[in-house]
Amino acid sequence: MHSHLYVEGTLGIIEIKGLTYSYPGSEQPVLREVNLSIDRGEFVLLTGPSGCGKTTLCRCLNGLIPHFYNGKLDGEIKIVGLSVQDTPTSKLAQHVGLIFQNPDNQIFALTVEKDIAFGLENLDYSREEMIKTIDWALKVTGIESLRNRAPHELSGGQKQRLAIASILAMKPEVIVLDEPTSFLDPVGAENILQIIDRLNKELDMTIMMIEHRLDLLAPYLDRIIILDEGRILHDGPPREIFAFEESKLVGIGVPVVTKLEYRLREAGIDLGETVLNAPEFVKALRTRLIQKRENSSPSAPFYRGVLEEDKVPEGEAAIEAKDLHFSYPNGVRALNGVSLRVMPGEFLAIMGENGAGKTTLVKHFNGLLRPNHGEVYLDGKNIAGMSVASLARKVGLVFQNPDDQLFSESVDEEIAFALRNFGFDKAVIEERIAWVLELLGLTRYRKASPFTLSGGERKRVALASVLAWDPEVLVLDEPTIGQDYAQKGRLKNFLKQLRDRGKTLIIVTHDVEFVAECKPRIILMAKGQITADGSAEKVLTELGSLKQASVNPPEIAKVFLQLSEFGLPRSIINVEDAYDLLTKRLGRNGD
Amino acid sequence: MSVFQGLKFSAVSSPIHRLDPRVKFLFVSILFVATILFSDLLPLLVLFFVQIPVLIVAKVQREWLKTLRGALMLSVIIFASNLLANYFYSDRILTTETLELSLAMTVRFIALITTFSVFFLTTSPDKLSLALEKARVPYELNFAFITAIRFVPVLADEAQTIMDAQKSRGLELEKGNFIQRIRNYLPILLPLIINSIRRSLELAEAMESRAFGAMKKRSNLYELRVTKSDYFVLILSLVILFLVLYIRFFIPIPRYLFPFSRIL
Repeated sequence: MHSHLYVEGTLGIIEIKGLTYSYPGSEQPVLREVNLSIDRGEFVLLTGPSGCGKTTLCRCLNGLIPHFYNGKLDGEIKIVGLSVQDTPTSKLAQHVGLIFQNPDNQIFALTVEKDIAFGLENLDYSREEMIKTIDWALKVTGIESLRNRAPHELSGGQKQRLAIASILAMKPEVIVLDEPTSFLDPVGAENILQIIDRLNKELDMTIMMIEHRLDLLAPYLDRIIILDEGRILHDGPPREIFAFEESKLVGIGVPVVTKLEYRLREAGIDLGETVLNAPEFVKALRTRLIQKRENSSPSAPFYRGVLEEDKVPEGEAAIEAKDLHFSYPNGVRALNGVSLRVMPGEFLAIMGENGAGKTTLVKHFNGLLRPNHGEVYLDGKNIAGMSVASLARKVGLVFQNPDDQLFSESVDEEIAFALRNFGFDKAVIEERIAWVLELLGLTRYRKASPFTLSGGERKRVALASVLAWDPEVLVLDEPTIGQDYAQKGRLKNFLKQLRDRGKTLIIVTHDVEFVAECKPRIILMAKGQITADGSAEKVLTELGSLKQASVNPPEIAKVFLQLSEFGLPRSIINVEDAYDLLTKRLGRNGD
Repeated sequence: MSVFQGLKFSAVSSPIHRLDPRVKFLFVSILFVATILFSDLLPLLVLFFVQIPVLIVAKVQREWLKTLRGALMLSVIIFASNLLANYFYSDRILTTETLELSLAMTVRFIALITTFSVFFLTTSPDKLSLALEKARVPYELNFAFITAIRFVPVLADEAQTIMDAQKSRGLELEKGNFIQRIRNYLPILLPLIINSIRRSLELAEAMESRAFGAMKKRSNLYELRVTKSDYFVLILSLVILFLVLYIRFFIPIPRYLFPFSRIL
């Protein structure tokens, strides 16, 4: 069928030589001298800090660059022997399937099966062939039961599986995925990763994936390519890459267990080979602990994690919800009797799968939604009858997607918007703008248009535009989504600063590793109810309630939950604490 | 965003849904013409009531009632304006005839809405697009039509989120005079427009990645198959057309159920 010169084994399925590219109207190349050869059946991760050129490289693989984007392209790109520059995208699409971040923007049809058919219709397949292929694609992605559903009836995870099925139907040899899980909850994300792994292992497809969540992905990978400022910085198998110290420097989210192992090695505790996931780490650590036990005289159990008993908070709550019930007009019951007290200065994380009612709950805190039953109190006052504007003055709500709120010509105008709405004086507005820009490191963008900024910067502008009026309570919906490792680190520091200033902080998040590092109080939600409430150490180590809320335990917790036989506490959830504990336990004193 | 509810097509199956959209179009067109031809209460009532069993067979009576509820205000206006106009025109005399005439106009309006409902509530946009394709409407237009319908619920959700985000920043939509109120909507419209532009770019990328426009000729997963019930409806439609024309032009129907008697 393919009448071009591509002989298996002699060349990689993807061959890139000296690729340099700049977008039209820009002098600055986004990719510089990229050389790359990928073999059939490899599972490759493409990573690097945001703005490093990952997405651009993906666009080069099916000819979106240069055919759709134009711009200046030098060098050679060959996919299954086809030169990308000389082959139209519609032809390349049959060899390389691209899957994007937002599942909604790649579904065209009004039913699942019709969407899968879209590519095949474009290629003029016969009906019989289409139906056969659709059956197969539905089966591989496990969405047979959704065949006749409309896209708007699907969950995010289901939509992304549909997007994969639709690409799969075109039977490409290579599938390229650009952060396919960033809109999904952890369970949805893991499901997608398993499907992709199956495509790789069972169908021998070559996979190239951009992803920040390396904790979940590391075990599947054959190879990691790190891009920085348009150049390939590292290229090799995961163990080799993660052993580099530099990889930390460009903001790569090394798996947390790998990070821990690395720090232990620095402290003189060598566990052998670089570990990639919790089971490997447990194995290495267990061997070491057994050795240690045999070498040393029996001693009293080391120490047990001391958990403070749940204290009923006293005094007036900043926010109190009493038996909230809420149903959307379409009949979906989102809250089913939620009661909650958040004390002034407290740091709270709300977790649970998509659709559990997290965002619905926080929208009750500033009156965007009003309960069908139950009450919300702010500083002891019932908020029924108060306007959203007056409540928003006290409870600042930052939405997940900055693009749902940015509209001004410049960053300072964007920040001034809310201040004007709340009737601040001109002088105060100027002062607040200067203050918040400084606080979030945005001062140099003061006069820039928000739309020219990167995703991470836009997110900070959105945060600044709320923080500017200095609300007592700050609610952040999914603050870590779309943020790379370095940006998350900055966010963590920033939240700490806010806490030191006495702010009440509430975050809604799926990011269990981020939460494990910050250690806020956590509530878990499932089906519109609170199913667990307590300290991070307690909630994130109770597997039963985590499972109920579809939240995975943090990687470090997975390790320590299996080592209690050695007298190690079960409530260790982050690298910092694990490091302190293990250096004491395994350090010099015994050897 | 209940306005959009009616546009969220859900796949229900019924004999009416399965009809060939072209035949169904002919059927409702004939009903439409008939409703326009008659202006008396009795035939209009008949035309209205014959459609109800069709709606019930199609299991869309609930959606239809929702639509009617939406049209309630307009119906009242039609009734009232007819009544008042006739009342003042006939020297302030209110008769049963005036009442009937106004009622007839209202029933006509409701019957027309019902006819539209029968078609649009039971014809999936996919089938409609297929019919358009058969009518040699260019595929690009057809694709635009389907995409527009596909993104109605997505845009509705997005508009809601943007509105929530801006209200959370102290935006009060109902504040100020008329001009001010229009300006209040800018912070909602701008992100919506900018997001749509961004979205269209992403959509275009995704289309390219799915070999859009690869070949001159393209196939379709669905096909229109004319079945026995289509022939039945086709014949039925023609019979109805014949009956309607015959009754309209050759049979004297009483103009009023309750001829002239004065009420006021």
